[in-house]
Amino acid sequence: MRQALIRVGAIVRKEFRHLGRDPRMLLAVVITPVIQLLLFAYAISFDVDHVPTLVIDFDNSPASERYLQQYEASPFFDVVAHGTSLAEVDTAFDDNTARVAIIVPSGFSRTLASDATAQVSVLVDGSEPNAAKISQAYSVALNQLYGQQLTREWADAQGLDLSSFGLLEPRIRTWYNPERRSSDFLIPGLMVVILAIVTVQQTAVTLVRERDLGTQEQLEVSPMRRIELMVGKLLPWTLIAFLDVALITGLGRTLFDVPLRGDFWALAVGAALFVFASLGMGLLISAIAPSLDTANIMAMLIAFLPSFLLSGFAFALDQIPVFLQWISYAFPARYMVSISRGVFLKGAGFAEVWPELVSLAVYALVMLVISSVMYGRRSSR
Amino acid sequence: MTTTATAAPAIRARGLRRSFGDTLAVADLDLEVGEGAVFGLLGPDGAGKSTLIRMLATVLRPDAGEASVFGHSVTTEANRVTPRIGYMSQRFSMYPDLSVAENMDFFATIRGVSKTDRRARAASLLEGMGLAEFTRRQAQHLSGGMKQKLMLATTLMHEPDLLLLDEPTTGVDPVSRREFWRILAGLHRAGKTVLVATPYMDEAERCTHIAFLDSGRIKQFGTPDEIKAQVPGRLVEVSATLPRAALAAVKAVPGVESAHLLGDVVRVLWSGSAEPEQALGAALAAAGVDGAGTREVAADMETVFAYLADPSTGSGNAGTP
Repeated sequence: MRQALIRVGAIVRKEFRHLGRDPRMLLAVVITPVIQLLLFAYAISFDVDHVPTLVIDFDNSPASERYLQQYEASPFFDVVAHGTSLAEVDTAFDDNTARVAIIVPSGFSRTLASDATAQVSVLVDGSEPNAAKISQAYSVALNQLYGQQLTREWADAQGLDLSSFGLLEPRIRTWYNPERRSSDFLIPGLMVVILAIVTVQQTAVTLVRERDLGTQEQLEVSPMRRIELMVGKLLPWTLIAFLDVALITGLGRTLFDVPLRGDFWALAVGAALFVFASLGMGLLISAIAPSLDTANIMAMLIAFLPSFLLSGFAFALDQIPVFLQWISYAFPARYMVSISRGVFLKGAGFAEVWPELVSLAVYALVMLVISSVMYGRRSSR
Repeated sequence: MTTTATAAPAIRARGLRRSFGDTLAVADLDLEVGEGAVFGLLGPDGAGKSTLIRMLATVLRPDAGEASVFGHSVTTEANRVTPRIGYMSQRFSMYPDLSVAENMDFFATIRGVSKTDRRARAASLLEGMGLAEFTRRQAQHLSGGMKQKLMLATTLMHEPDLLLLDEPTTGVDPVSRREFWRILAGLHRAGKTVLVATPYMDEAERCTHIAFLDSGRIKQFGTPDEIKAQVPGRLVEVSATLPRAALAAVKAVPGVESAHLLGDVVRVLWSGSAEPEQALGAALAAAGVDGAGTREVAADMETVFAYLADPSTGSGNAGTP
């Protein structure tokens, strides 16, 4: 046992030496995650506010003016221009100077005064579906509010007291992320994607490299067991992955104000297990890939795509096709995204995330054993 | 760990076979290497030398047959074989980005050598091989000869009793080759058993025993003297201003086993009863070859194997190696 530990230690020391001698690798594991975080966090934003809005008032009445005032007052819409003709809508949408156009037809105040339903056109630029959907919802809400206001004024004018009538007023609150900032939502998931990329990619090439260098045969004629080699290869990357976790958490909290509401240790244990599972996956690639290039491509396919697309990071898991949902169970990212968001945003601890932790632990173990076996099978050809 | 004083030979192989796809690399091979021997495994590229060595080193499984090292099976008792062997593969297999000292230390550590032993042995090995001043140099920046010495030094760190060296001098300059063999001679004196594969026939002379391997089979086996004795007759070198004319002139002389050009001399294998100088001189004079001279030389391995490997020799035809 002591000898085994010494051997594992020798591998760990050697791996760190490789890392220290290769500045590009160091760059890849420390600087790249930071750049990825900044890029992703700034580039991918699902935040929708200050939508540039064009208003055209054909009615030019006090009523239409009051109606449009609502848009001016809303933080969601930014009224950037007041138009006079419909052609301006096309121009504004084409130039991307506006994404929403509110058009009040002439006769708006007259229709209201005659107790009929007035119509307002809301044109939405659909080329950005997410923004379009939300703009639509907001303008519908604004119209309803205005309608209510009119009702109340009418009642007042009629001398009715509506306070005894009972009106329904929705109070919408978003839990866990009250301001609905997408960075809060993205960064805990992003951490998982970045971890997957760093760990799988790096370990995927490590065993292939031993084979290419011919050092594998020298390792084989030593008393070292395969599992010792695997563990020795995993430990340095686990440490580095932890460094990345700390880095991303730190940056997320300071730069993006992402809250860390839950049990940090649950996150740490989750990250450790996820890293082990990902590294196991990397080793498996390494054990079966015939060349460094193949290993790199396989790592990209297995690490990046599933953790990006099938983890719940970019798309909610219950909204993707069922067979993709099934595939998502085969990758550790989905468990970790759920742990990460749970801890960061929902204030979760061990009590809440233990099923995911167990899944990751089992996953990691299975990966390690399979890659050990596969590595052995290949080498004794 | 057992002591070296066992009755079993260092290596014993029976009916060893291994193929890759349709290619039979080692074909039902029998081999016995006694303790303390410097056993040369000679043969052209693709003869099966590497395959045989890798099977003996436990890194490749035989398809059939059995091999043992110091009495332990290489297939079922690999963990008892590996502590006693040092295996040096044909290609450079050290970490290029690690220094000489780091490479030696790493492989010795995973071999279970204690820290004090590692330090002492590395110092003396590096000193003995003339690598002491390159201790901190990265392996990738070493010359070809130094790389081979580093591999050998690393192989010796756990003090193996049997060294399996796969073409350790291929691609190494002549000076480094001589030095490498000087080191092997030292190991031989220290009682180590060495199995060394080489494509260089001249290296065979430095072995205590040799086997000539071709197409996965041992074609010749014995001590260098025994092998040489298999070649009938004496070796004569004929020099002339026009070597080709000389070759044509001596080819047909009765008693000439084989004749071929080697540089600007003609090498003749003579098995006639008369003195070769006179018989050949007469033939050359009769053919009018200018400036001809003959001289008997000692048979070297190159010629011996050229003769033995050539299926046409022995029938009286001129052999071309």
